[in-house]
Amino acid sequence: MTLTLLESPSVLSAPRARPPRARPLRVALAGNPNCGKTSIFNALTGARQHVANYAGVTVERRAGTCPLLNEPGELIDLPGTYSLNAYSPEERVAEAELLAGPDVVVVVTDSTQLQRHLVLLVQVMQLGANPVLCLNMADEARAAGQTIDVEQMERLLGFPVVETVGHRGEGIDRLVAAIDRAARNPVERHKLVLGEDLDRALDDIARALPPPARPEQGAAWVATRLLVGDQRQTRRVAALDGGEEAVALARLHRTRLEAATGCDIAVFVTERYFGFVDGLLREVRHRPRHVDTRQLTDRIDAVVVHRLAGLPLFALVMFAVFWLTFTVGDYPMGWIDAGIARLGEGLSQLWPEGSDSPLRSLLVDGMVGGVGGVIVFLPNILLLFLGLAFLEDTGYMARAAFLTDRLMHRFGLHGKSFIPLVTGFGCSIPGIMATRTLENERDRLTTMLVLPLMSCGARLPIWMLLIPAFFPPAWRAPTLWMLYGFGIALALLLALTLRRTLLRGDDAPFVMELPPYRQPTLRSVVLKMLTRSQVYLRKAGTTILAISILLWAATTYPKPPSYQVDAQLAKGELALAPEEVEARRAAEDLEHSIAGRLGRALAPVFAPIGFDWKIVTAMIGAFAAKEVFVAQMGIVYSLADGGQGTDSLRALLARDYSPLVGISLMVFLLIAAPCMATIAVTRRESGSWRWALLQLGGLTAIGYLLALVVCQLGRLVI
Amino acid sequence: MSSSSDTVSISSPLEDYLETIYLLVQEHGFARVRDIAGARRVKAATVSVALRKLAEGKLVDYQRREYIGLTSKGERAARRILARHRLLTRFFAEILKMPREAAAEQACTLEHALTDEAMDRIVRFFEFLGRCPSVIEAFQRCPVAAGADEPGLSAAASTCASCAVRNDVKLMTLSDVEPGQSVVVTQVASGGALRQRLLDMGMLPDTVVDLERTGLGGDPLWVRCQGARLALRRSEASTILVRRKA
Ligand SMILES: Nc1nc2c(ncn2[C@@H]2O[C@H](COP(=O)(O)OP(=O)(O)OP(=O)(O)O)[C@@H](O)[C@H]2O)c(=O)[nH]1
Ligand SMILES: [Mg+2]
Repeated sequence: MTLTLLESPSVLSAPRARPPRARPLRVALAGNPNCGKTSIFNALTGARQHVANYAGVTVERRAGTCPLLNEPGELIDLPGTYSLNAYSPEERVAEAELLAGPDVVVVVTDSTQLQRHLVLLVQVMQLGANPVLCLNMADEARAAGQTIDVEQMERLLGFPVVETVGHRGEGIDRLVAAIDRAARNPVERHKLVLGEDLDRALDDIARALPPPARPEQGAAWVATRLLVGDQRQTRRVAALDGGEEAVALARLHRTRLEAATGCDIAVFVTERYFGFVDGLLREVRHRPRHVDTRQLTDRIDAVVVHRLAGLPLFALVMFAVFWLTFTVGDYPMGWIDAGIARLGEGLSQLWPEGSDSPLRSLLVDGMVGGVGGVIVFLPNILLLFLGLAFLEDTGYMARAAFLTDRLMHRFGLHGKSFIPLVTGFGCSIPGIMATRTLENERDRLTTMLVLPLMSCGARLPIWMLLIPAFFPPAWRAPTLWMLYGFGIALALLLALTLRRTLLRGDDAPFVMELPPYRQPTLRSVVLKMLTRSQVYLRKAGTTILAISILLWAATTYPKPPSYQVDAQLAKGELALAPEEVEARRAAEDLEHSIAGRLGRALAPVFAPIGFDWKIVTAMIGAFAAKEVFVAQMGIVYSLADGGQGTDSLRALLARDYSPLVGISLMVFLLIAAPCMATIAVTRRESGSWRWALLQLGGLTAIGYLLALVVCQLGRLVI
Repeated sequence: MSSSSDTVSISSPLEDYLETIYLLVQEHGFARVRDIAGARRVKAATVSVALRKLAEGKLVDYQRREYIGLTSKGERAARRILARHRLLTRFFAEILKMPREAAAEQACTLEHALTDEAMDRIVRFFEFLGRCPSVIEAFQRCPVAAGADEPGLSAAASTCASCAVRNDVKLMTLSDVEPGQSVVVTQVASGGALRQRLLDMGMLPDTVVDLERTGLGGDPLWVRCQGARLALRRSEASTILVRRKA
């Protein structure tokens, strides 16, 4: 195949007059998965969308504005897609956006993978779009000794071509200029030659398309879809007046081409795409003759995904992440804890000793006791996310998916379920969103439903509070590890059950691309940490603060009209020290409050699993957001000792509850009642309340049952 | 082909005229009586008679005095007949291996005679052949098609997939390959979306695939193809036919 201009004017390349734009410029970023679209998007818009080194990070369309462009415009980041023959939900998003006809399509490619990544460009050209080609990862290509003659490429293609290094922002200025250039003078006709036989067939089909199916742009694309027998397009065109003919003609051409070449049409067309790309690359790409195929990545992989060593190494890596979270996080946690305690004391000293001003109680018990208790765990959260960032950014995540695929498969999960599940360790919501990369609806639902069993970042504060309260230091990290392990094991079992009952069906195919290892940049890691802290602190300062105040009010009011202790004291039935009197009064306050009454009403239900009313109120709060459990325990205890206790919450818990209750509590909190936001996202992503409620009800029931087993067995043993 | 209800029934010579006009219009953008007469090797007067009949059937219209165009109805009818002509010609020439001239002649007579239903069946048969090209190859390679008197298992026939199955010759798939080996893809026989995905990822016939390693227990497979590292399960790999690298 050579790159020559089509001689005779054909409908496919008829010049089109684009009407002047009334609306703002729309620029879409399209490309294969993991080629760096989001990195480019972030560099162009200053956004901080999630970037990671595996395929399928972005699953939603994201819009932003680029201040650098000449014209005010909207920039759209899209999920990665190998071609425009979409299958999975997230790829369909990309397809829909491109078909909607943005003014400029920036086709982002990985310069080291051009022969595959440029195929999408060919399809975008067929769509009649107005492209800018972005040769990203230019650094890696250069390191491999490859050079591209960009000017020659521009000449051959007829639209701007720019080399960039997305994550470092190199070449972004040139990309901006190229987008401006493309917006000003859109391509009039694409110089696309796919071979005489195919071009002629496409032209013939395009001519037969009834006018409504023959957009000025993209006739070639519609014709191609008809030719390969794409069902959606065929149905759409056939429904139009005169569309039957075009469909029949396409079928005829298909038959003809298949008979002539002896190969099936999908293979034939795809081969022509690759052929065009080959021809193009031959003229613009220069590579050293002898490329060292054993790259660094392969040398690392020889160890990391070693048949025998791979899985143990994976277990070790995960253990290291949790160890880091727990052990290293304890130091800064201590500092913050001390700081917050001092803040509480400082605040309470603004009032005279023994004052029962509601404002003081609100500030000291409700806000500092509640939100402060949550903020304390920021370092642990950050370390957990540091660990996850390391897994994501290096490219290890995809290897881990490879290593665990067999296990996952045994339990009816798909290899691609792995990454959403691991994402769930951070937070269930992005995890559930990430299931969009699963093509099969059953796999997707299964993964979604069991995902809350991956202990999320919001539950980490609970573990950080409870584990040290009930376990000796040497046991703490292993306990945390076991807790996560328990969640995973249960998720697998549940997935298997679901796939054997409600979601029965064949296994969906599994094909996954493994990216090369990349060194995470300090900048990107720091940015991720910053974003994470912001999210965490914002949540603490808004949702959790609001709920804390609500819970504080519910735990404080209404006050009892008079205290029994006082009556008993007056009758002389009791003789108590003043502090004890104070403590008794506080306890009566709690019992009389709304939360106390509610907790008491529900307590019989939870008594078999060892929870008292305090835990029950905290549990109710935890449904709103998991961290609230910690906040509410803080409030209850802060109120209970009248704001004068110096013991840490952990010590108080250890005093009031047995380790058995502690374990039962952890089991219940791990499994039961995913938070409200999770339920809402499940509802949205599964498209029905049925699944969301099944998730809520099912997990709560299982959590309760297992906690019951733990508690009752434990009582027998002890 | 759909048997649309408004298919025009006109006599076969008239259909030939339509076909000719269509081709002329395709080529030059217009057709004149002179050109039609030339192309069909008849007198201009004969053409005029035919054109009048076609105009009555609202199949052609006179754009200017001697410039003749097809109405949309006419264009449809012409395309239908032309499509039949091309398909039948190819059938006789490429599948049944008749000489081109003879094939075209056969097509000319048959194109008018076939009912829509029969045509539709033939198209379907073609589609089947397209989807399963090894059948055509097998047919053409087979001594039976070449007219051999003794249809036996010649050396050529043993390369045919169906014979291979019958004779227990095992075709190699990617799942039969050992780690460290390189093979060449011969056919991607996977079904549904997987097939397109594999094609999009560059796993095309004649590309080299290196099997680098497998997971513990032999699954999944880790392969390299067109510079990419791909993981796929053994069950998927068994739908990819390969041959050893020469
Ligand atoms: N060496 C190098 N790495 C890059 C470059 N651009 C992006 N990366 C890295 O490549 C990986 C993928 O980047 P993303 O921006 O998430 O890619 P994407 O195309 O949005 O990926 P999906 O959303 O999964 O389709 C990240 O680890 C980036 O840091 C580049 O120019 N050079
Ligand atoms: Mg992305």
